[in-house]
Amino acid sequence: MKNKFFGRLKSVKPRGIQSTIMFAISVISISIMLILGIVMYIRFSVLSRQEIIQSTQKLMEQAGENLEDYLGSMRQISDAVYYNVIKENDLSNQDMDIQRGMNLLYEANRDSLRSIAIYNNYGSLMAAEPLASQKEDPDVTRQDWFKRAMGEMENMHFSTPHIQNLFDDGTFRYYWVISLSRVVELTNKGDSQLGVLLVDMDYSNISRMMKQINTLNNGQYYYLCDSNGEIIYHMRQIQISDGIGSENSKTAAKYKDGVYDETFEGEHRKVIVNTISYTGWKLVGVIPYSTFTHGMVNIRYFIMVLMLLMAMMLVIINRVVSVRISSPILKLNNSVMEYEAGEKPEIYTGGSLEIRHLGDSIQRSYEQIDTLMRKIVLEQNERRKSELDALQSQINPHFLYNALESITWMVEGERNDDAVFMISQLARLFRISLSKGRTVISVKDELQHAQSYMNIQKVRYKNAFSVTFDVDPSIYSYCTVKLILQPILENAIAYGVSSMDDCGEIRVTGTMRGENIVFSVADNGIGMSEEEVSLILTDSKRVHKHGSGVGLVNVNNRIQILFGKEYGLTVESEPDEGTTVSICMPAVPYTEENSRILEKGYIFSREEMIDRKTQGK
Amino acid sequence: MKNSKRLFILIEAVLAAMVIVLAFVMLQEKNGRDLDKVSVIIQNSDDNQWSAFKYGLRMAAEDRKIEMFVVSTGGTLTAEEEKSLIEREIENGADAVIVQPAPDADTENMLRDVEKKVPVMLAGCTASKEKEDSALPVTEPDHYAMGTALAEELLKDYSGNIEGKTVGILSETADSEAAANREKGFLDGLKDTGAVISWSVYDSFSETDENALEFRSRVDFVIALDDNSLRTAGKYSAAKNLHGALVYGIGNSTEAVYYLDTGFAECLVVPDEFNVGYQSLTETAESLDDYFHTMQNRTVSYTVIRRDTLFSKENQEVLFTMSQ
Repeated sequence: MKNKFFGRLKSVKPRGIQSTIMFAISVISISIMLILGIVMYIRFSVLSRQEIIQSTQKLMEQAGENLEDYLGSMRQISDAVYYNVIKENDLSNQDMDIQRGMNLLYEANRDSLRSIAIYNNYGSLMAAEPLASQKEDPDVTRQDWFKRAMGEMENMHFSTPHIQNLFDDGTFRYYWVISLSRVVELTNKGDSQLGVLLVDMDYSNISRMMKQINTLNNGQYYYLCDSNGEIIYHMRQIQISDGIGSENSKTAAKYKDGVYDETFEGEHRKVIVNTISYTGWKLVGVIPYSTFTHGMVNIRYFIMVLMLLMAMMLVIINRVVSVRISSPILKLNNSVMEYEAGEKPEIYTGGSLEIRHLGDSIQRSYEQIDTLMRKIVLEQNERRKSELDALQSQINPHFLYNALESITWMVEGERNDDAVFMISQLARLFRISLSKGRTVISVKDELQHAQSYMNIQKVRYKNAFSVTFDVDPSIYSYCTVKLILQPILENAIAYGVSSMDDCGEIRVTGTMRGENIVFSVADNGIGMSEEEVSLILTDSKRVHKHGSGVGLVNVNNRIQILFGKEYGLTVESEPDEGTTVSICMPAVPYTEENSRILEKGYIFSREEMIDRKTQGK
Repeated sequence: MKNSKRLFILIEAVLAAMVIVLAFVMLQEKNGRDLDKVSVIIQNSDDNQWSAFKYGLRMAAEDRKIEMFVVSTGGTLTAEEEKSLIEREIENGADAVIVQPAPDADTENMLRDVEKKVPVMLAGCTASKEKEDSALPVTEPDHYAMGTALAEELLKDYSGNIEGKTVGILSETADSEAAANREKGFLDGLKDTGAVISWSVYDSFSETDENALEFRSRVDFVIALDDNSLRTAGKYSAAKNLHGALVYGIGNSTEAVYYLDTGFAECLVVPDEFNVGYQSLTETAESLDDYFHTMQNRTVSYTVIRRDTLFSKENQEVLFTMSQ
């Protein structure tokens, strides 16, 4: 799984810097925004939920107080009837007083009262207000309120709502009442007897109170039930008794005051319970969780719109930022790409300090590369030309003609030995000249070549000068560029000793000096002025008319191409004293590998040679 | 570069579209959906017998969040009058109508025309006299069963022996499906018992006195097949003008209950009018909520109440709905 994931990651194409920056910033900012939005929403919804619950609790407390007030006033009426009317009067002779007292109380509270009635313990009506004919046989002793009053004599009893079944007022109407019943002591002809005082409250008062708080249309509602869970008021009480609806009142009745979470018929809801004193009734507020969400729907939309707008802004900002960051890089990249494609534009240098620096240094390095390339091409060309020149010098027709003329002359004079010597010297000269096409040969071969050349020249100049070779044999096995001594010797003969009679002397020496090999060719000829000396190594046009056509400049160049600028020729001359030309080269042992490396030229070989030297040490 | 610009514009466009959609939804939500309006047309709408029905309608309207309006009518309506009332209601923006059909032969056709415009639910009885011919959905009690139940109660009181007893039948009309089925049920219930139907009176007793019961021949039982008739019978009984005949009937007003309570009626069969109202509006609401919902017939129950069971817990609730 992990491998697969990484595999996929790897297969993702590398993106541009702008999209990478944009993507990264977008991901970060949008996730921050999402987290913020969600946290805000959760916080807000928790707060609003608490708010709803608190306001519901407050409302319920108020409603509870109203109900308590109402029920309290009913108790007061009951007390007043009992203590001020019944106890004060005898039923037998003061019934008018009782009636008047009850009438006063009834009239004062007729909005909330349905009736006040006094029954004796056999269930016969003693007095009632308002005055109405009693039904034929209501049999009050079987009615619930009577039984409960008689069952627990010391208490007042509030019944559940029921239809009053006592009087017939001829209006064809039935009244829905809540009965407050208590046992009272009646005085009849001086005797005390038990009776029941019934105060019937109009249910519509309670239902009005409940309706007042049940006006919210968001699924939240309140109901009232007694301590057994019998519903006293519920918005949907008929639906509940018909089985169309249902209510968890049996459970709610067992709750103490407080806030509860419950799930009823698959609906998650908050239930707030408030107990009404005197009666044990429970005022229950129900807030389905859907109410909370219902209230939050608009907030949800609002937050979503806000977040979308923020996302739009962020996308714009991200784009601006990413463009600002990446555009100099992209421009730089584009100019580099154009350069690579072969065009030669200016490398872009702009944007921030770092990019500017980068552009500058790329520009500079490109320029350097350009110069170096040009230089290399130039050097290579020069090298080829020099070598060609050097080779050409070996087959100089004039030189060859002279040599062959000498040989012919020797053969004609029957100086066969001299002729053989001459021919063998010529052969050796050409063999070393060719050297299988190599540029680098051993010092020994180069010396051999120089000696052969001088031997031939000596014959040609009829031993007009003498040559001494004084070379340290220990340097024989080092590398040298081929054909470097011959042009110098040619010069020495041409300018130095050819015009002198028999006393011309050329001295060739070779020694190891430090890490270098130094050859010098000294003559005692006519010498040169300082100006001429300075021209020798700079003016390539300056070639002896009878010579090989290869000047000292060529020799110097070839040495420097192979070994480096610090090596080459030095010329010292004094008019009428003679000239000394010195060749300085590094001492590189002559092996196959070294010569192969050197053939490439000093630019390539220098570092390898340095390594080699340190290794050698 | 071009690609990223295109993507940028695309993202912005999508986000903007989402904002617009959400804002639109938000506004819609704020304005709130208009409540569906349902008009209810019943005959003599202020009559006491409709209390439970109207209470049921009101409860269903609260439960289903519907604006319900009971059209005020007086007296009996003809099909023609009913038609003009319905049309006026539709003009006033009613999305559906609940109609108590006028006992008229044209009613069915008239209502079928109406149904092409708005959903029609019948309450109380079908429009055509034969239940099978009715194409419109109806919410009603089982009239035939109520008639039978009334006969059974009568037989129960005499242990099935009413041989030779005379029976007078009172009914508001002979033309409605309800009246016809109730009578049929009752007569089927009395079949082979030897009871004799002395007379049948079909009148609403509103104005004329020509059918006054006191001039009818004396019978042992007066059977009132609807609330109006039962009240009439009760009134006569209370005024001792029924020559001692016992009243059995079907009724759903507190007045009818009062006659039972006071002993002027022996037995009362009460159709559950609360549920007629509640179910008819619920069914209508469903068809308004769901365009593809076809309204179904709904049958509600009835209760048999005797004087001694009048104040039982269940019957108190029946009374409660009637007293609203």
